[in-house]
Amino acid sequence: MQQVTRKKLAEGVHLTCVTTPKFKRAVLRAALLLPLGGPDAALRACLPHVLRRGTRALPDLRAIGEALDGLYGARIEAVVRREGEHLAVGFLSDCIDEGCAPGADGLTAGVIRLLAELLCDPYTQDGAFCPDYTAGERENLIDRIAAQKNDPRVWAPLRLTQLMCADEAYGQPVHGTKAQAEKINEKKLYAAYQRALDEAQLELFYCGPLDAGTAEALFAQTPLAQPRPGALPLPPTAVLAQPAGEAREVVEEEPVTQGKLSLGFRTGGASLTGGDPAAYWVFQTLYGGSTSSKLFLNVREKQSLCYYASAQFVPAKGIMMVNSGIENDKFEVARDEILRQLDECRAGDITDAEIDGARRTLTTNWGAMLDDPLTLERYWLGQAAAGTMVSAEERIAQVQTVGRDRIVAAAQATALDTVYFMKGAGA
Amino acid sequence: MSKIWTALRERMEQRTLDNGLRVCYLPKEGFGKTFAILATDFGSVDASFTIDGQRHDTPAGVAHFLEHKMFEDEDGNALQKFARTGASPNAFTSHTMTAYHFSCTDRFEENLEILLKFVFTPYFTEENVQKERGIIAQEIGMMDDTPGWQAFCGLLGGMYRNHPVRVPIAGSVDSIARITPDVLYTCHRAFYSPRNMALVVCGTADFDEVCRMAAQYSPADAPAIGERHYGDRREAVNELTVERRMPVSRPQFLLGFKDVPCAPGESQLRRGLLGELSLRILCGDTSPLYAQLYEKRLISRDFDTDYMLFPEGAAAILGGESRDPEAARAAIEQEVARLAREGVGRALFSRMKKALYGLRLRVFDVPEAYARQQAAALFAGEDYADFAALCDTIGADDVQAVYARWAQRDRSCMSAILPQ
Repeated sequence: MQQVTRKKLAEGVHLTCVTTPKFKRAVLRAALLLPLGGPDAALRACLPHVLRRGTRALPDLRAIGEALDGLYGARIEAVVRREGEHLAVGFLSDCIDEGCAPGADGLTAGVIRLLAELLCDPYTQDGAFCPDYTAGERENLIDRIAAQKNDPRVWAPLRLTQLMCADEAYGQPVHGTKAQAEKINEKKLYAAYQRALDEAQLELFYCGPLDAGTAEALFAQTPLAQPRPGALPLPPTAVLAQPAGEAREVVEEEPVTQGKLSLGFRTGGASLTGGDPAAYWVFQTLYGGSTSSKLFLNVREKQSLCYYASAQFVPAKGIMMVNSGIENDKFEVARDEILRQLDECRAGDITDAEIDGARRTLTTNWGAMLDDPLTLERYWLGQAAAGTMVSAEERIAQVQTVGRDRIVAAAQATALDTVYFMKGAGA
Repeated sequence: MSKIWTALRERMEQRTLDNGLRVCYLPKEGFGKTFAILATDFGSVDASFTIDGQRHDTPAGVAHFLEHKMFEDEDGNALQKFARTGASPNAFTSHTMTAYHFSCTDRFEENLEILLKFVFTPYFTEENVQKERGIIAQEIGMMDDTPGWQAFCGLLGGMYRNHPVRVPIAGSVDSIARITPDVLYTCHRAFYSPRNMALVVCGTADFDEVCRMAAQYSPADAPAIGERHYGDRREAVNELTVERRMPVSRPQFLLGFKDVPCAPGESQLRRGLLGELSLRILCGDTSPLYAQLYEKRLISRDFDTDYMLFPEGAAAILGGESRDPEAARAAIEQEVARLAREGVGRALFSRMKKALYGLRLRVFDVPEAYARQQAAALFAGEDYADFAALCDTIGADDVQAVYARWAQRDRSCMSAILPQ
C-alpha cells in the first residue's frame, strides 16, 4: 500500500501527500478549487497564465526560467482543469529528488517556495496585474478558446458534453467564452484573483520521497498554508441519473476528412459519489474500455468501421461517452452497431471471460497508476473535488466482487442522452 | 553483464543470446508494474533493401502495416490473449523502430510468452491483409485531419529530397493498397531476425527466466539482416518553406535545421544530448529567446523542441502555434547565427546543462519511456543511463560548433499550417 495522507493545514487549505521512495522525482501541485462556469469563468482561466509570467521577486519569464534551471530543470505549468463541476486553477510542478544530483539539497523546498510566490505574490503594477502580461494572456486565452476545434478528435467529445449538459454546470466552457475573454483587463483580473483567493478551497499535493510531516512543514513555511476563512464549501457535482428528455441526434458539418461520432449516455447515477461505480467500471471496460472489448472487436475488428471506438466512463459527472472516427457514410451503421453492442450487455450476453478480462484490465490500470505520480496527482484532485477518499487499491478490491448481475444492471441503467456526429465536409 | 550507476541509483542486466537477440533487464524497485518491449531496428525509413541478392522497394507504410498485422496468429489475435491476463498491450512504428509492448501487474511470464510468440510468428493471409487496409485507411484519415502531424510530415518532405524519412510512416491509402502478404513476409524475414532485435524488460522480473524464455520462443537461427538503402544525401534542404492550409484557428509552424548524420563511431547518445542541449539554449522554455518571442506572442506555451536522429540523417526541430511564423523563424535563425558567431556564455551553458540532466533523469521514473530509450540505445551499442557521464564531456565549444552547422546557408526549412 502506498502511504496517502490528507490533512487540513488551515481553514480552506488541504494537503494530500503520497510518500514513496521509488521515484526519482517529486510532483507537486497548488490549485484553487472553484465552482465551474459563471461570470468569472474566462478571468479564472486566464489567471494562472498571468501569474506564471512573473512574481514580485522574479518579475519576468527570464527570471523564472533561470530559477527553474537552477532547480535542475524543475517545471511549473499553469493548470486550468475541470474536475466534475469544479474548476481547478493553479500550478502543477515536478522536480528531481534531491538525492539524485550533487548540490541539490533544499531543491523541493525551493520549488514549494516558488509555487507559493507564483500563486500568492504576483508581479503587480499600481495595485493591479501588469497590463502587458494581462493583454498578452487575454489574447492567448482567446486563441486557446478558438483552438479547441483544431483537433477533431478532441473537439467531438467536448462538443458532445456541451450539447448534452447544456443546462448543467458541466456543460459550461472551462475557458469561458470569447466574449467574456475579450473584456479582460488588468484591474478586472486582479479583482477576480482576489475573489478567487478569498473564496476558493486550496488543494495542495505532494508525491515523492518525503514523509507527510516533512512535506507539510515545507508548505507551512509559505503563504500557501495561511488560513482562508472566507473559503466557501464546494457545491457537489449534480448527477443526472437519466436524460432530461428523449435522446437526440445532432449533426454538424466541419471541413475535415474523417467523420467523428460521439455518443453520450447517463449512467443511472453511477458516479464517484453515488450508485454502483465499481460495477460501472467493469461494464464500461468490457463494453468499450480495452482492445478485447465488444466495441473494439466488433466495430473495429469485425466490421473495419474505424481505427478507434472506445467507451469512457466519467465518474466525476456520472456520464459515459463512446468516441469513434469513421467514414462519413458509415454514420448510421456505426451508431447502430455501437448501440447493438450495448443491447447485448443489457441482455446479459456477456461471457465469463469478458468479465474476468475486464476485472484484470482495471486491476492492471489502477495498479499501474500507483507507479505514475502525475496520474496520482490527477486522481487525488478528482477525489478531493468530489469530497471522497477512495484509493486505487480500494477500487481494485471493489471490482473483484462485481458479478454478472451488477454488470447487467449497470448496462440496463445506461440511457442514451445525445448522439453527436461531426460530419466531414472535405478538407 | 551487469552494470551499475551508483549516483543515479540504477542498475541493469544485459545478455546477447546465441541467436543475436539482445535481452536487457532494468529493475525498478517498488514499482507494481512491469513493462516489456520487443523492438526491431526496422522503421518506415527502411523501405528499400537488398536481401538474398535481390533488391526490394516496398510500398510506403509497410513497416506500420506489418506492425498491425503481427498481432494476428493462426490461433487468434494476440490482443485477445493479453486480455485474458489483464495486460495492457500496444505497439508503435516510428521512422527507425517497430516495437511491441505490454505492461502488467501480474502474470508477467505468461504475457512475455504471448509477446515473444506473436512477434516471431508471422501469419498473413489475403483476407486478413484486406481487412487491415480498411482500419489503416481510417487511421490515415485521422492523421490527415491532425494539423500538428501534417506540419511534421510537411517539414520532413521539405528538408529531405531523397531520404525516405520524407514519406509518412503509415503511407497513403494508395500505397497500402499495394501491400500483399508476400511483401509482409519478405519484410519480416529481412528485419525480424533476432540479431536485429532487442527485448527490454523494466520493472520486476527474473532475468535468467526472461533470457530462457527469449531463447525458447525466438528462432534459433538468425537470418542475415537486409541491407538498407536511403538514397543520395544532400547537405541542403529540399525546400525552404512548405505551406498547407487546414481548418486551424491560427497558424502552426515547425522549423527544422538539417544537421549532419552521426559519423561512424560517434556516440548517438552523446549526439542526442548535444542536439537537445543546443535546442534548449537556443529556444527552450527557460531560454532568453523563448521569453522574448513569447512576450511578442510569436510563440505560445505549446512551443516545443526535438532533436531527431535516424540512419544517414539528423535534424533539430522547433515549433508550435504562432501569429506570425515568418517572424518567429527570422528571430530563431538570427539567434542561431549569433550563437554560432559569439558562442554561449558560461552561466547560461552551465544552468542549461543542469536542467538537461534533471529532465533526462526523470525518464527513469517512466518505465515505458526508459525501456524505449534503452532499446534505441542498444541498437546503437549504448546504454541510456550513460547519459550522465556523456553530459560531462559536452562543452560550450561543442554547442557552438552545432550552431555553426545550423547557421549555414540552406540548412533550414519551415513547414507552416495556415488557416483556410
